[in-house]
Amino acid sequence: MPNRHSLFWRLVVLVAGFCLSMIWASGYVGRYIDRTSSFLSEQARDTLSGYAREAQAALQAGPEAMAQWLMTMKEREQGWLVVVDEQLQPLGGQSLSDEERQKLTFVRHYDWPMSRRYDGLPLVSVPLANTGAQLIIQLPERFRPWRHHALLTAGGVYLPLVLLSLLFCWLLYRMLVSPLDRLRRQANALRGNRLDSLLPPSIARRNDELGELGRSLQYLTQRLRDSVVQQQQLLRDLSHELRTPLSRLRVACESELGAEDMRNRTEREISSMQQLVDNTLEFAWLDSEQPRFECEPVEVAALWDLLCENACFEAGWPRERIQAQIPEGCQVLGNLNALAQAMENILRNAIRYSPAHGVVRLTANREGDSWQLRIEDQGPGVLEAKLPVIFRPFARLSAARPGGDGFGLGLAIARSMVVMQGGAIWAENGLSGLRMIIRLRSV
Amino acid sequence: MSTCEARQILAIEDDPILGPHLKSSLEHRGFHVTLAGDGPTGLTLASEATYDLILLDVMLPELSGMELLTRLREQRRTPVLMMSALGNEAHRIQGFDSGADDYLPKPFSIEELQVRIAAILRRVDYERSVPSAPNQDAARFDDQRSDLHYEGRWVGLTATEYRLMKVLHDAAGEVLSKPFLYQQALRRGYSQHDRSLDMHVSNIRRKLAREQVVTLRLESVWGKGYVLELQAS
Repeated sequence: MPNRHSLFWRLVVLVAGFCLSMIWASGYVGRYIDRTSSFLSEQARDTLSGYAREAQAALQAGPEAMAQWLMTMKEREQGWLVVVDEQLQPLGGQSLSDEERQKLTFVRHYDWPMSRRYDGLPLVSVPLANTGAQLIIQLPERFRPWRHHALLTAGGVYLPLVLLSLLFCWLLYRMLVSPLDRLRRQANALRGNRLDSLLPPSIARRNDELGELGRSLQYLTQRLRDSVVQQQQLLRDLSHELRTPLSRLRVACESELGAEDMRNRTEREISSMQQLVDNTLEFAWLDSEQPRFECEPVEVAALWDLLCENACFEAGWPRERIQAQIPEGCQVLGNLNALAQAMENILRNAIRYSPAHGVVRLTANREGDSWQLRIEDQGPGVLEAKLPVIFRPFARLSAARPGGDGFGLGLAIARSMVVMQGGAIWAENGLSGLRMIIRLRSV
Repeated sequence: MSTCEARQILAIEDDPILGPHLKSSLEHRGFHVTLAGDGPTGLTLASEATYDLILLDVMLPELSGMELLTRLREQRRTPVLMMSALGNEAHRIQGFDSGADDYLPKPFSIEELQVRIAAILRRVDYERSVPSAPNQDAARFDDQRSDLHYEGRWVGLTATEYRLMKVLHDAAGEVLSKPFLYQQALRRGYSQHDRSLDMHVSNIRRKLAREQVVTLRLESVWGKGYVLELQAS
């Protein structure tokens, strides 16, 4: 069943309205034309009543005059003609055959409409004033009614139908094709790489299928625009970041380093470049494929243990500097590897910005049917306005968070990882430093 | 390395620099390496001769690595290690579906490759002859129940944790690499961001601590793997 705002209903109203108005208009006009064209013309009636007056004069003058008049009438009119009294008896010495007598029953008064069913020329009767007698005459060919019926019907019935159809098609066109045309123009703009074109408000406001199509197209444009901007930014940042190890390698090549030093330097720069490329590929993969990670119950305490073990080894921290307050049975629905990577990136970040003897702490608390995992450091924090920026790829807030040596991809990857598990991640300034919060569904 | 002696390896790699480099580096480490420069040659060699391991590049001219692997699996069960610059997850899963034993994303160092090769070869050896480590008095491995019995209590290991403990116990005192533990206990290849093994180890440690199993200590060796130390109670 189409919904309330569907184009279907508009089409139903339009088509039904068109059909009904067409039937009504053609019926009305047709009947009007039939009625008006079936009466005898003014001229015909004048002529006929003139004959009647002559017949009356002849009747009063006597039977001879009547016969005389009938004789003259035979010359003036081709058709059959008779004058009868009230009992339909012929006057003026005329006699009627049975067939002619039969005909008298089909006579019409000359003021009445003529029938179209009658094949030949009809018989009309014209009363003679004050006598009760009447003149019955076969209508002369020149006075025949219905003469312009076909023309009138064409002009009065068919022409309006054509006009109505034109109107109907114009409405349909306005309703369907012109919005489509506007959508087509927007699609063509996409083809021409003009990604800034906006949907016309007349379509954006619509609630029907075309409005929906328009909004889908709008979303597509938006996504494409974001993606292009992001890709360009990523490419710029990546090339910029690669220049650093490359220029260091160039310097090393041009200097007089010994073989062993050269090997060490090369190895260091290669692993830095490899890490950059791996992270960028990983980020691009998360962004473009938007994979859905399979989620399973993950024991947060066990995961944190193994992350701490690695992180302490990497950073040379004593185990006591990473603390945790996790309630018993804290299990979230997540993907082990993705969650581990997200938390590891956050933990590395926290360690990197920690002051000497600073502590990193994980706390977990339950909120409804989800867990909030908060990782807090004692570093300098981030300016309130810059908080959302830190999740952007290659965002390095060197002014706000000095001492960074990563590429700024860690948090961008962490955010994608968490989002792909159906969770959320955000940052806020805590009591002592930056606090990262991951929210995931509980088991 | 004793496990590497005279092992026959077939490397199918079309890159004119990487291929010969693989051959010379591995030969330097004591393997016999045959190099095939394209898919059809590689497939012919792999089906006609017997190798201990095949190194297979995914991107090959004429016959792709995936296709080659599918055809090879119709005839032989030779262990295959896939190498590819296409590092994404989907590709990796496809590789395992076609029957690869492990997957190594490029670029990699020869040391990394050797660890993976050793892991696969060792698993094959392990499957051929399972050495039964002596059960201690206090701790006893029960294959029927897939659990560890310690001083009259069950530790409550899962099947995978039990397999892992057993492998570590059979080689007690020796550091086992993560790729080998993945091969042996988790029965799949290892990848950089895979944390399942670490999680199993973390769980085993918690269970051992809970049951106060003092004679077994499961230690991490940074950058190498894990080792199980037996200690006199």
